[in-house]
Amino acid sequence: MNTIIDGRDMQPPEPMERTLEALDTLGEGDEVLLLLYCQPHPLFSILRQNGYTWSEESRADGTREIRIRKQLG
Amino acid sequence: MHASLSFDQAPPISVPYRFFLVAPWFGVMAGILLAWSGSDAFVSRWTPEALALTHLIALGFMLQAMCGALFQFIPVAVGGNVWRPKLVANTVQPLLLLATLLLVAGFLFSRPGLLSAAVPFFLLALGGFVMVVALALWRTPATGMTLWAMRMAIGGLAVTVLLGSLLAEALAYGLAVPIVELTNVHLVWGLGGWALMLLAGVSYHVVPMFQLTKPYPLWFTRWFGPLLLLLLLAWSLRLFLDLSRWSMLVTLPLLAILSVYAGLTLWLQYTRRRKIHDATSLYFRVAMVSMLILAISGAAFVLWPALGADPRSVVWLGILAFAGVFVSAISGMMYKIVPFLNWLHLQRLGGPISAVPNMKKMIPAEAMTGQLRLHVLAVVLLLAAVWQPGLTRLAGLTLAASCAWLGWNLVGSVRRYQGFRDQIRAAA
Ligand code: HEM
Repeated sequence: MNTIIDGRDMQPPEPMERTLEALDTLGEGDEVLLLLYCQPHPLFSILRQNGYTWSEESRADGTREIRIRKQLG
Repeated sequence: MHASLSFDQAPPISVPYRFFLVAPWFGVMAGILLAWSGSDAFVSRWTPEALALTHLIALGFMLQAMCGALFQFIPVAVGGNVWRPKLVANTVQPLLLLATLLLVAGFLFSRPGLLSAAVPFFLLALGGFVMVVALALWRTPATGMTLWAMRMAIGGLAVTVLLGSLLAEALAYGLAVPIVELTNVHLVWGLGGWALMLLAGVSYHVVPMFQLTKPYPLWFTRWFGPLLLLLLLAWSLRLFLDLSRWSMLVTLPLLAILSVYAGLTLWLQYTRRRKIHDATSLYFRVAMVSMLILAISGAAFVLWPALGADPRSVVWLGILAFAGVFVSAISGMMYKIVPFLNWLHLQRLGGPISAVPNMKKMIPAEAMTGQLRLHVLAVVLLLAAVWQPGLTRLAGLTLAASCAWLGWNLVGSVRRYQGFRDQIRAAA
């Protein structure tokens, strides 16, 4: 199951709270898509240390698409 | 449940808090000093009281808070690692405190020996701080204009401290340097190159994030910092050349870019996606309106020299900059950073997400907006006291009261953090 969290209209730390909640139920091959206007460094460091990978892309309007998955293996 | 998640080794919460918790009390000291000295303080910028007041705010309030914020902001916003944050903070913060008290006492009691005594402590504390921060800012793989603005700001701090130290030694030993010109250069680096540069860089990041505005336009973030730096360099040429006829060509563009930054920030707030009127947004609005008034009245003083000839006109600008712009913006930032850090560090304890209270529970909203109103009253009274000296004591007392309230709100938030932490630990 894929989850989309549009954090662009949320005040911190709501996007991070929602993402952490979504990660709790993330299955193999599932993806969380997080939309933000900034780079969430605190979240990245949590992901890095807990075996998640992510990719980032920016849209023309400054939105960043952050796709999070479980690291394979 | 995410009890298994581990959090990064960002600095312990005590690192920023030891700076934040002392900053407001320097504002209290400034207010009490003003109430005690009364109407003489604002006669000109060169009174011992005025010099002591500027540095109580610039070093005691602003620099303390900004150092604490940088320790936190560097890992969170630009993904940089500060070397041994706890050790550095535990050394820098008390040294800075001591140096500031010595410098302020030197100004207030006209004892140049104390000014000179403060210098080694400043060089040690801020030299170390600048090196550690610069290293973190140059080694991070992040990119973007917030990072560049922070790099320029830390350079601005270095220039300010060096010029301030030179001034202090010059006053103590009667060195043959142009004191007035040197002071003018020192103060624009302190207020512009350091404080404003940092505020702008941080704004690019936090205004959209916390106040839910559109991002600053790219043309602005690309040009503001470099242009500011260029204008500061041009302003500094006065040390070497006689620029009295040209100074308008630097001053007016400088005031113009201030108004663009302030106007743009107000416009972003006005057109934001979701209207929120928390203390942080309101404090930023107060800061930006003060900056606009500063730019407009500064331009008026330049264009109509008869207006600017009154020694009080510079005091008016100083109050707008210190109390109106920086104390406001920094108070607003602390009201956001402190609840956020409470939340982040409670998360780290590893309990379930539901165990961590909402950020809004960390400082009651009414306590923040009440304090903000008192601060605005203090700024208005301070400005009025420039032209109505009878109001000086009242203005000082109001400033002291509003800073004490700020300090109290922050202490309350730390207490709440400790309470929640103990609850979560007990439940685990
Ligand atoms: C980092 C932030 C700082 C800021 C924003 C700042 C700001 C200012 C301002 C606005 C003035 C002019 C005061 C007036 O005209 O009433 C001034 C003067 C002065 N500052 Fe600073 N300052 C800073 C740091 C320092 C430091 C670290 C020192 C000492 C090591 C220092 C020493 C002095 C001295 C000696 C004067 C000249 C006083 C005179 O000519 O009588 N400042 N500063």
